[in-house]
Amino acid sequence: MDRKQTPLPRLMVISSGEEHSSRQGLALRQSAALGQSAPVLYQLREKGLDAGALQTLCRQLASLIGLSGSIFTVNERFDVALATKAAGVHLPEASCPVDVVSKAAPSLLIGQSVHSAEAARLASKAGVGYLLFGPVFQTPSKVPFGAPQGLEKLRAVCKAASVPVFAVGGITPERAPACIECGAWGVAAMRPFFEPETMPDTINLFLSYLPS
Amino acid sequence: MTIPRRLLCVITDQQSNPVELARMALEGGAGMIQLRRKSATGRELFEWALRIQALCREHQALFIVNDRVDIALAAHADGVHLGQQDMPASSARSLLGPEKLISVSVSSVEEAMQAAEAGADYLGVGHIFPTGSKEKPMPPIGTGAIRPISAASGLPVIAIGGIGPHNAAEVIKAGASGVAVISAVSGSADPVAATRELVKRIRQ
Repeated sequence: MDRKQTPLPRLMVISSGEEHSSRQGLALRQSAALGQSAPVLYQLREKGLDAGALQTLCRQLASLIGLSGSIFTVNERFDVALATKAAGVHLPEASCPVDVVSKAAPSLLIGQSVHSAEAARLASKAGVGYLLFGPVFQTPSKVPFGAPQGLEKLRAVCKAASVPVFAVGGITPERAPACIECGAWGVAAMRPFFEPETMPDTINLFLSYLPS
Repeated sequence: MTIPRRLLCVITDQQSNPVELARMALEGGAGMIQLRRKSATGRELFEWALRIQALCREHQALFIVNDRVDIALAAHADGVHLGQQDMPASSARSLLGPEKLISVSVSSVEEAMQAAEAGADYLGVGHIFPTGSKEKPMPPIGTGAIRPISAASGLPVIAIGGIGPHNAAEVIKAGASGVAVISAVSGSADPVAATRELVKRIRQ
């Protein structure tokens, strides 16, 4: 199946970023829970792990998530994504250029974080499969990334983009419809999924607020 | 792919402009540049890699990237250097193909044999002497470790760790094919002259 031709799920789950410290093992339990969940995009974003540990984890996740029907992407390291047969790579805004990654890893779904309408326009032209924009709302985990950019900025980004845009930053199920109204394809979040036991229900709750 | 005998590899430090450092090291006769900067963004690494690769081509020198196989692929570097905590050499080999250089950091015969099995072309062996460049919990392994590691793995050894003009010839005598340095060049007031002096000692 060519991921690039299939509509993407409306929800992206982003890993905690704390696999190397306080939430070791969470990504594996989340991935197992995805077996009982509706399909999502799952982005492993663990900058604190060395590439060796990241690759070991990705290998486990790629097979679990691949079986679940969800789509597994790895943050930035397209080499690790290729080596572990992940479906895609999610590029930070300050990464290797999209067209270069696309050439080096043509089999991968490529997503990218953008922080402006101009970046969204350029990334769309360069061949990304989707974009991630935020922080839309106030959120503790995105404090280092600056003040919330708000819904009107999201609207401008969605207008500039020619690929699906996911809104991130302070996203709750109740806030999802406002993002969709601005033109977002879907939403992305990290904190609502820290309890793998309730993850299938939390995913369903999110999806109930999103277009089917 | 194999590496030339009596090779000097200059590794970029965490402070200097890596392109400028590479330019000076190449002018001083370094045969290889390794781009290593743990705190940089992917974009910075990629742009530095393109520029250093171009400089290395001009000087007929080799260019490798530390840890980041993705950057090596994107910038068409000559290869990668992998630590024990990095991507396994076998995976890097699958991604890079048979023509690219893969070196692996080892400090024991066991690690050396694993690296050889996984498809490494040569080994970075150290740290040979006490060093201030990296935090090292282990004691230096000394020049005596070079020959057994090279013999057991069948691979050439680049010695690293605390090497400068005063002891570069000693590690070559002890069986190393070459030498890798960070601070001996990047920490010098005159990196071109420091590189030239190291090359001279290695070729003695």
